[in-house]
Order: sequence, then structure tokens, then C-alpha cells
Amino acid sequence: MSLQKKVWMFGYSQESKMIAASLRDGNFAINIVESNEKNANDALLDGFKNTALIDVTNDDELEPLGIKTSDYIICVMDDEHLNVFLTLSLRSMCPKNEIISISHSIYATQKLKMAGASKVIDLYQVSANRIHSIFKKPIATKVLDSFISTSYEISFGEFTVSKGSCLDGVILENFDFSQFNIILIGVLDWELGDEFIFATTNIAHKLDADDIIVCIGNNNDLQEFEKKLRMSSK
Amino acid sequence: MENFLVKIAFFLYRSKWYNQTKKFFYDYLENKENPSKHYVDLFFIFLILFSVFDLVYSVKNKTPHWIVIVDYYLITTIFILEYILRLWVHGNTHHIIIKEYEKSKFLQIDFSSKDTIKNILLEKWQYIKSPIAIIDLVAIIPLYREIRVIRIFKLTRYIRSVKQFLDVLKSKYFELVTLAILLLFVIGVSGISMYIIEGNTNSKINSLLDAFYWALITATTVGYGDISPVSDMGKIVSMITAVVGLIIIAFGTSLMVSAFFEKLGEIKDNRIIEDINKVDNFVIICGYGQMTKMLLREDNFNSKYIIIEKNSDVAKQGIKDGYNIIVDDASKHNVLEKFKNSYSKISLICLGNDDIENIYITLNAKSISKEIKVVARASSSMMEKKFKIAGADNVIIPNIAANTMLLTAINNPIMYSAMHSLLAGKNAAYLDEIRVFGYDNIVDKKIGNIAFKEHKLLLIGLKRGDEFIFNPSKDMILNSDDILLVMGLKISIEYFNKTIQGSLS
Repeated sequence: MSLQKKVWMFGYSQESKMIAASLRDGNFAINIVESNEKNANDALLDGFKNTALIDVTNDDELEPLGIKTSDYIICVMDDEHLNVFLTLSLRSMCPKNEIISISHSIYATQKLKMAGASKVIDLYQVSANRIHSIFKKPIATKVLDSFISTSYEISFGEFTVSKGSCLDGVILENFDFSQFNIILIGVLDWELGDEFIFATTNIAHKLDADDIIVCIGNNNDLQEFEKKLRMSSK
Repeated sequence: MENFLVKIAFFLYRSKWYNQTKKFFYDYLENKENPSKHYVDLFFIFLILFSVFDLVYSVKNKTPHWIVIVDYYLITTIFILEYILRLWVHGNTHHIIIKEYEKSKFLQIDFSSKDTIKNILLEKWQYIKSPIAIIDLVAIIPLYREIRVIRIFKLTRYIRSVKQFLDVLKSKYFELVTLAILLLFVIGVSGISMYIIEGNTNSKINSLLDAFYWALITATTVGYGDISPVSDMGKIVSMITAVVGLIIIAFGTSLMVSAFFEKLGEIKDNRIIEDINKVDNFVIICGYGQMTKMLLREDNFNSKYIIIEKNSDVAKQGIKDGYNIIVDDASKHNVLEKFKNSYSKISLICLGNDDIENIYITLNAKSISKEIKVVARASSSMMEKKFKIAGADNVIIPNIAANTMLLTAINNPIMYSAMHSLLAGKNAAYLDEIRVFGYDNIVDKKIGNIAFKEHKLLLIGLKRGDEFIFNPSKDMILNSDDILLVMGLKISIEYFNKTIQGSLS
């Protein structure tokens, strides 16, 4: 049985080619869906055997694709209007699926969210923030770069609190993360809902099993912390 | 004589004082890029207005004696000095002498002081014969009181609209001269005809000048009515003169209007460029699209920016959206060269979709000045290296950020929230830098004793000198000039900044 996560990628343009390639490198089972013949052929030529050429505006053609609830859906159609429409169609068809859309304009982001996208990657917002940082905050720029690129040492780490671990039942304020040389960025406390809460909001959280914390730090320190967390739960 | 000229020229060439003094006067009188020139211009505008006001006031009133002294002697002296200084800073006399001397040495011929002086005079003549210099010269002749009214024309040097109007007229020089000759011909023929026909019968036409005056007033359709034809023949000449004159005037008017329309865009663009060149630190953004809009929404650089967009329809939309935008091609050398400026720190951001064009613009900017900081957008990491070779200081690859975020969104959905907020600078995850100054109340304090937590801030790191310390120890003591990298809400950061400066208790 394959443990590969299945991804449905709607759109295979010049820009989204890179995304498809990196998903393939990330060991995902990728299915490309295109409504443009040339783009579909490009996908086939690039080695994406599971490429379908359909009219994405027609639900009768979308339904036979057989998207399962556990599958991820990525909407990266070139046409902004079509991307919003497709997101809406897929949400109505797959109410429980994770739909990630990439926005290419200021106004599309909100529309994609309204259309039902679970996550909207606001490409230009991120780039604009980065350019702003280059001019105004050079140190912050380096840290932000390190989150994107793998060539830097500082990155994110996501840890699930397991039952009986050193974090289970701990009040976050009382836990000293600096002993591991990492910084707590925020927490997902299921008791408080499914919203990510930033550490800067200073709310006293009691961690329970299955809560998730996100930290930043050097890769080695993050790995070390994960190891200790795992060992403490045994 | 020859030796003397050459010696003087080399002396001036080497003299630091002479060259600095000349540059000083050039900067304040002629260098449009010098932001301080503005004050000198204002001073001269004041003098001109003062002088003209005195002239107008004295027509019906007796002006106080001190005003007459100031106007007649002081202002005239200042204008004479101004004229001499402008003449001096126009060109480099000693350079001409040195060039001629070196030429003679190279060709092994005698150095001709006559030719050299001729070249120097020719160069100065270029300035003397320019319309504005002629106005300057006439304005300093105080012999005739009335002629001093010419001083008002000196304002043309300082009023951009007048200069631009003259530039537009210059662009239609040939057409306008042709029309002027035609008008002169019509006035000449009509005036002479009228003088012959009614010279003896019309009591108002006593000389040929009266006839020419009548012809001009009729041809330009002004028609004062002080001189009018009295004979049938005279009336026929009047009718023909009026019709032909009307055609010429209409033609001339349409010519000027069309010239203005043609030049309007250029005039607007030049104004924007002139204004931005006066700013000491500005940003040139190449390409107007979603990314540009988003960037300016994030940070409008205190309005010290200019967008260059080559597609006029796109540029029109940008103007409608309220941005400072000019229509031009940033990949052309002469376009970016307009911003070459020794007074300003220039940054250039290439946000176009096309890598080839962005690389070309990067090279273009760097070929104009290595000092221009270039931030370029690239489509892939493969391109990054090429941009670096071209000299780009920073390369933005939106797709790489998208990839990382996409993979995070699938693999670590919780982490994605944190990452997206940090990268997009949203919510409570705004990253900012706080420079520690000597007078701040956190200097010499241990990091553990600083109220980051109370201000709802996270200390991510610290930069000391060239070293960045991630997650610094609580025992570390803060020094002046350290830079703190903190995360939190914008308002928390602002409040913390005020607190450490002691402006809040």
C-alpha cells in the first residue's frame, strides 16, 4: 500500500511547473489537471503521466476524476477568474478536502478564500514583504530568507505534544525553551479551538496531548529538541 | 604668450581651490540636480519681483530713496555678478587650452594661441547668444529705467512652464518660422497696398508704419478700429487681409496645440523625473503590475519612488491608480541615465515578468553606476546566479516562496500559519528591527531583565557588529548600536521603542 500523499494540481503553466517539480521531489503522487491542450502536453512531456485534459468548468468532467477526501487539491490556474471559479466548484464537490490556491493578485486572495480555499498562498504579498524588508530590515530579511531556503540554518519546527511527554500538562509560560536554544513561535491548543495562537499574544496555555507547538531554531537544535520530546514520552 | 597661457591653464587644472570654487558656483547656479539650488533660485526670484514691483509702483508713486538705491545699485550689481559667474561656469577654458596644447605636442606643430583663444570665445559665445543669456544681459543695463521691465523675463529661467512652452515652440521651429514669414509677407503686401490705395485719402494713414500697423491688426483679427478703410478698394484689401490672416493664425494655433499634445506626456514625465532627482534617496520600480501595487501598498517609500512602464496603456492605468509613473523603457541606457545623480542614493527594483528583460535592466543600471542598488525578480533559482553575475544585489524568486509554503501547507499545516504570517508580515508575527542607541534605557542591561514579554514581544536575535546571534542568552548585556530583531504586533513594537527611548514612563 502506498503511503504517498496524493495531490491534484489544477493548472500546469510556466509558473506552476516549478511547483509541480518540487512536489514530485517531495515524493507526492501528483495528478495534473489542465484545460489547455498545450499545457497538458507539456506536463506529459515533463514526465507527469497522470495528466488529464478536461474542461474544468464542467462539473460532469470533474467528478469522474475521483478525488478522495484525503487528497490535497492545489489550484494554480493561470486565469485568475478561472482559478476562483474552479476553487468554488471543487469546494462544492469536495467539502472536506484541503484546497490550497495560489493568488496572483491583491484582489484574488479574498475571493479565493470566499470561494472556499483552505489556504491561499499570497505570492505577491510575500514577495512585497521581502522587498520591503530588504530596504528597511536587512537582518529580518536574512531570517525570513532562511525560512524559505534550505541553505540557511534557521528554520521552523512543528512538534506534536504526545501523552506523557515533558510538555504534556505544562503551562507554556513556565517552560524554558531557551535551554534547547529554540524559540517558541506559537501553539495550536485544541482546547481553545483550531486557530494558531502566536506566543506574542501572551495567553497562558496549558499544553495537553495532541496540541501542536511551532518553534524556530537551528536545524540541529530543533532535531535535538524533537529527540528529547520523543524520549520523554517513552 | 603661448607659454603663459599653457602655464595658467595647467595651474588652474591642478588647483583644487579653483576647481572646487567653480563647482560650487556651478552647483548653485546651473546644476538642476542640486537640491540646494532651489534656495538660490528663490533668492533670484525675490530680487526680480522686487525690482519689477519697484518699477510698477514708481509709475504713479514716489518710491523711497533706499528702494531706488537697492534696485538701481544692489540688485543690478548682483545681476551683473550672476551674469559673469554664469559665463564663467559655462565650459572650461583651461581644458580647451590644455587640449590644444596637447594636440600641438602630439602633432609636433606650434601651439597657436590665436586658435585657442578663438575656441574659447566660441564656447563662451554659445552661452552669450542663448536667449536667456541675452535677457540676463539686457536686464543688467540700468541706463533706461523702462528697459528694466525686461527683468521679468528672467523668471523664465525659474518657471518650468515657461521653459517647457519655449521647448515646445522650439520643437516646431521650422513650421513656426515658415508661418511667421508668411504672415510678414501678408502684412507687407497688405500694408504697402493700403498705403498706395489710401495713403492720400485716409486721414488715419500718414505713414507706411501706420499701414503696416493696420495690416497686422486686421490680419490677426484683433481689429481695434482706430484705422479703417475709406475706399472700396481699401475695403477689398481689408477683406482679403482678414481672411488670409485668419487662416494663418488658425494654422499657427493648431500647430502649437498639436505640439503641446505631442509633448504633454514627455513634459509630465520630465517633471516627475526632475522632482525625483531632487530627492536624496529614491527608488525606481521597473514594471507596473500586481507585484508593484502590492509592494507600494506595503511600503510606498514615503512617495520617493518612480515607476517606469513601457506599455502606455498599463501606465495609464497606473496613473489612474494614483502612482508616480512614466512611460519609458528602463532597458534603454538613456532612460536610466536621466536618473544619474551624484546627490541621490538610488535603488532599482525590477518587477517585470521577463527574466531576460530584468537581467538587461540590471546590467543597464549597473553600467550607469555601480552604486545603484538593484533588487530583481527572477522566475526560478536557476536564474538567480545569472542575476548575481549581472550585479543584482538581491534576487526575489516568488515561486520559491510559493513552493516552500505549499510543501509546508501540505506537510505541516500548523507550521504553515506561522510561516505565512511571518513571511507576509501579518498578525502578531511582524518582524522588526530595533536599534539600541546610547541614550536608550536598555543599554548595559541584561537581556533577561528587559520587559520583552510584558510588551508581548519575542526576541528572535541580536546583531552586534557583523555577527548575528540567534536567541541570545538572558545574561547577555546590551550595548549601544546593537540591533534587536523582535517579533510581535506592530503596535507592541512601536510602544516598546517609545518605552526604551524614555518618551513613555
